[in-house]
Amino acid sequence: MPKNPASHAPIEVGDGAAIPNKNDAGLFTAWRIAFFGAIFVSLYLAFAKPDPYYEIFKFVPDGVLVTFKVTLGAILLATCIGLITGLGRISDNRFINGAASLYVEVIRGIPLLVQIFYIYYALGRFVKIPDMLSAIIAMAVCYGAYMGEVFRAGIQSIPKGQMEAALSLGMSRRQAMRQVILPQAFKVVLPPIGNEFIALLKDSSLVSILAVSDLLRRGREYASETFSYFETYTVIALIYLVMTLFFSKLIGIMEERLNAGK
Amino acid sequence: MKLLRTLSAAAALLAALSLTAFAAPKSIKVATDATWPPMEMVDTNKQIVGYDIDFLKAVAKEAGVAVEIKNTAWDGIFAGLDSGQYDAIISSVTITKERQAKYDFTEPYTSIGQILVVPKTNKTAKVIADLKGKKVGAQIGTTGAMEIKKVAGVELKTYDEIGLAFEDMAAGRIFGVVCDEPVAAHFALQKKEYKDKFKIVGKSFTKEAYGMVVKKGNKDLVALLNKGIKAVKAKKLDAKIHTKWVK
Repeated sequence: MPKNPASHAPIEVGDGAAIPNKNDAGLFTAWRIAFFGAIFVSLYLAFAKPDPYYEIFKFVPDGVLVTFKVTLGAILLATCIGLITGLGRISDNRFINGAASLYVEVIRGIPLLVQIFYIYYALGRFVKIPDMLSAIIAMAVCYGAYMGEVFRAGIQSIPKGQMEAALSLGMSRRQAMRQVILPQAFKVVLPPIGNEFIALLKDSSLVSILAVSDLLRRGREYASETFSYFETYTVIALIYLVMTLFFSKLIGIMEERLNAGK
Repeated sequence: MKLLRTLSAAAALLAALSLTAFAAPKSIKVATDATWPPMEMVDTNKQIVGYDIDFLKAVAKEAGVAVEIKNTAWDGIFAGLDSGQYDAIISSVTITKERQAKYDFTEPYTSIGQILVVPKTNKTAKVIADLKGKKVGAQIGTTGAMEIKKVAGVELKTYDEIGLAFEDMAAGRIFGVVCDEPVAAHFALQKKEYKDKFKIVGKSFTKEAYGMVVKKGNKDLVALLNKGIKAVKAKKLDAKIHTKWVK
């Protein structure tokens, strides 16, 4: 028995994280400073020094659109691949399990840039794939492997009792997976998937090595003609920053919504 | 103590070197983008070779300086000069007004022109404008890319290396490539994978001159290199280099 009776005070059990992050509250969150700061700097540069900053901002929007399309296409495809791979990795079927594991091991071991090159130029010799599509496929194939691991960890984090309970209620394994395990796992994997999403958005700049006119390539085209490298890369960095911050907020909101329904 | 001694020895050596720097031949660092065969490329022995490289070596010999060649990506080769990572560029750089506004050039050392390469299956195209509504490729930031941009209705695709543009044309994603005439000849007429697939159409349609590039205001280096170029031309060494690399 401890001698200090105060340690016997009842412990309150509430909802939410065990260790709340106090720095996420208040008017000046890191997110707000970064997001509005980047927008402010962009506007300031565009107005204070229109040549070259305004010119650069005028030159790159179609690149932003391409980056956006590649990212969105790749994330959708990668999530599907990831889910299938994740399920494959926990499958009892040796063949399915082996195939999924092999995919993860091989893809994780090859740099994304090499994969992008490979899929674009090597596959291009045999089948005619439009450049945008092959960029999306390359990104999705790579990120699918990482997402597969995220899904596997998420599914495995759901206690065994959940599956046992569902089975004892007379559900089939497939039903239990779809209606009991996956909805819970989805909540768990949302934050790491958000991370992957943002990493993918930034890595999509690698497709500029293919003649895909994404944000980075548009910037490089501008810089290589005007020689204003410093200014162009400043603008490119600001735009990527605003985009990633915007998406990280979006994912944060989704997370909150899901947790509210607990 | 030992470290101190080494350091002071190194300092003394440096001082001695800087004192004799005026007398002894200077060493300059020169950047090139070795993806532009036959002008500059990396051979199977990992050596940087080509027309420009031979020319640079001849110039350096005539001018009495040692050179160190640095392989650099074309995209950003000028930025590297700005930030002082090397003293000069020899990389098939066409002397243009825009570039002259930002950098200093030596006098021209050879002249070339832009030319169009298309797949052999295309029987009609003669000039870039014949490829309206189609994609045409060039290396990023080259005069070839600028020529394509001038033609309305043709979509320019830019590549990091000219070899990738030819590879993309072989895959059927683009319908023409514009580059310097010797480079086009190398890819379309000599490379065995492409010989049966591509052809050069028409004659070169621009008149351009290559120059070596130095940072704006570096008059001493320009004078030194010009002295070398004059001597090389006077001894007709440039003609020899030309026959060696350009067929």
